[in-house]
Amino acid sequence: MRKPLLPVVPALLLLIAVVLAGCTGPVRSFGVYESKAARTAKEEASAVENARLVVQAATGHKAFGRYLSQVLTETGDEASSIQSTFDAIQPPDGRSDQLQAELDDLLDAAATTIAALRTAARRGDFGAMPRLAAPLAGVSRKLDEFARAHQ
Amino acid sequence: MKKLLEVALGILTAVGGFVDIGDLVAATATGARFGLALAWVLVLGVIGIVIYAEMAGRVATVSHRPVFDLVRERLGARVALANLFASFFVTLLTLAAEIGGVALAVELLTGINYLLWVPPAALLVWLVLWRMRFQVMENLFGLAGLTLLVVVVAVWHAHPDWSALLHGATHPAVPMGEGRPTYFYFAIALLGSAMTPYEVFFFSSGAVEEGWSTTDLIVNRMNVYLGFPLGGALALAVMVAATLFLQPRGIDPTHLSQVALPVVLVLGKVGLAFTIFAFFAATFGAALETGLSCGYTIAQYFGWQWGKYVKPAQAARFHLVMLVSVVTGALLILTTIDPIKLTEYMLVLSAAALPLTYFPILVVANDPDYMGSKVNSRISNAIGSVLLVILVVIMLAAPPLMIITKAGQ
Amino acid sequence: MIDAGLMLLDRQLIDADGMLAGKVDDLELTFPEGGGPPVVTAILAGPGALAGRLGGRLGHLVEVVAARLRHPEETPGRISFGLVKRIDSAVRLSAQRAELDTDRVESLVRDYVIRRIPGGDHAPE
Repeated sequence: MRKPLLPVVPALLLLIAVVLAGCTGPVRSFGVYESKAARTAKEEASAVENARLVVQAATGHKAFGRYLSQVLTETGDEASSIQSTFDAIQPPDGRSDQLQAELDDLLDAAATTIAALRTAARRGDFGAMPRLAAPLAGVSRKLDEFARAHQ
Repeated sequence: MKKLLEVALGILTAVGGFVDIGDLVAATATGARFGLALAWVLVLGVIGIVIYAEMAGRVATVSHRPVFDLVRERLGARVALANLFASFFVTLLTLAAEIGGVALAVELLTGINYLLWVPPAALLVWLVLWRMRFQVMENLFGLAGLTLLVVVVAVWHAHPDWSALLHGATHPAVPMGEGRPTYFYFAIALLGSAMTPYEVFFFSSGAVEEGWSTTDLIVNRMNVYLGFPLGGALALAVMVAATLFLQPRGIDPTHLSQVALPVVLVLGKVGLAFTIFAFFAATFGAALETGLSCGYTIAQYFGWQWGKYVKPAQAARFHLVMLVSVVTGALLILTTIDPIKLTEYMLVLSAAALPLTYFPILVVANDPDYMGSKVNSRISNAIGSVLLVILVVIMLAAPPLMIITKAGQ
Repeated sequence: MIDAGLMLLDRQLIDADGMLAGKVDDLELTFPEGGGPPVVTAILAGPGALAGRLGGRLGHLVEVVAARLRHPEETPGRISFGLVKRIDSAVRLSAQRAELDTDRVESLVRDYVIRRIPGGDHAPE
């Protein structure tokens, strides 16, 4: 009877893996919180750089407005999802509190800028986008530094 | 042109195998995170599928029976049922993801939410499965899938540093910031998707649909040697594009729209238009391939009449299975599960199905009762056996790696 | 005799028109009255027949599904061995699919589902 069992075992493991992947349990130490924060910074940096790349495409008139708003909407959704996942984790101590504040500043800055870019794309105001995207360069750099510092 | 159409089956199979919705994002993500350090896996995958698809095609050509049909006969009802269970489930989930992929491609074009496009996409897929002749379908969607060559054009026009790219591909190294377990997880995902079971079942059944016989053994070879390397080349182009434009910026793609970004930056609006069409064609073709494979595998296990070469009324249960599969797939995607995440989480199941799929093919292709003098050559057996060992390793390594890396995060 | 039985199991059944008609899921063996080894008197095809051979939990599952699909008093599809015309890579029958006991589910699906959808009776284009 071993052969029919074969698909059942991976199916069970799949279930376990999915559950584990989604786990965001309470964090008890600064070290663990720090690495989660570093990971968040890295993911957010990816979203920020994505937005910057899209702006590059927009200013070069390289894409249709619909595509640009679509990508920026998706990037914006991703950024807010990253932030809400991070904010849902309770900082275990005072040092973690500071870390949360520092990272949240960057996440807020990224979120508002990406939202502004999305609005501009929807309005077809591609000319305004480089100016609106200017703060993202600094945000991206700071997120990188944060991630490297707290790895 | 006629010669090109003769390899349409191979091209369509390869499109579904190398550049479907899961592969498009996975190849982009691999290029963005690892550069070309995993390009060798694509090469290995092409070799693997070429060897086994040639076997599966040859079996169908010589015996007029598709390879899955013969698995039950040669290895018994129980083994074949395990094989069926594993591959049908994976194929059905892939079908669901592809229907989602078609909807995502239309969303890119129209800006209207992809969920609204799922029912019409499913309906259109089913209509083609119901009414379109097999030859017309393979020619149309095989050729349409080739529009993905726009990515190759984009890479060419980007004037990359070819020697640096070649160096990255031939000297695989895990980049800073990525771990070894994640590297091997991605390797397994890439190889598994290059050799998914439905490719060989579709190709083998397609050979029977086409009516290939012993004089067509060369056609079988042409299809395999041209189609799958082409598919692999398209996947490689997507990987290179991501290496050039996404990796330097640390962008980790999670959406189909990001797959198009490199082409947009190089070729502008024209490139974007071609790319969106290519996404549509590739995912639609993959949906057809997986839909048909759902029908083929079940019908061939139970011995029901199957195939598009007869009227639907003459293959009633075969068409019913496909109808139910498409509807189930559409409903699954309508639960708002992310089609791309769906393909990622299926990895463990697909990995388990691999040895179960390919071992019987190796056995059947060596059986002189079916193959006469056209049994496997020593080379095919040698490479096939090595690959089988690799696939068993993958099957064993996939679950722990998936847990350790939390599915590649 | 047992060897021949094993060779027959899981083989494709092909009817007089060349259409596929199921697989040899099981065999009906009858002990002749005068004594001696059992003789194959019929081919059994259909989920009920297959479930018996699969055994265990899997067979039970197939049996349950099959029982839902067929009338409770019906037995698994039976094809008299006299209808076997030839055995090569498949088992070739001298009757047409429609005449066989095993065509029940296929014709049900054909009449109640496929024929109701436009285009079911036409060749694909």
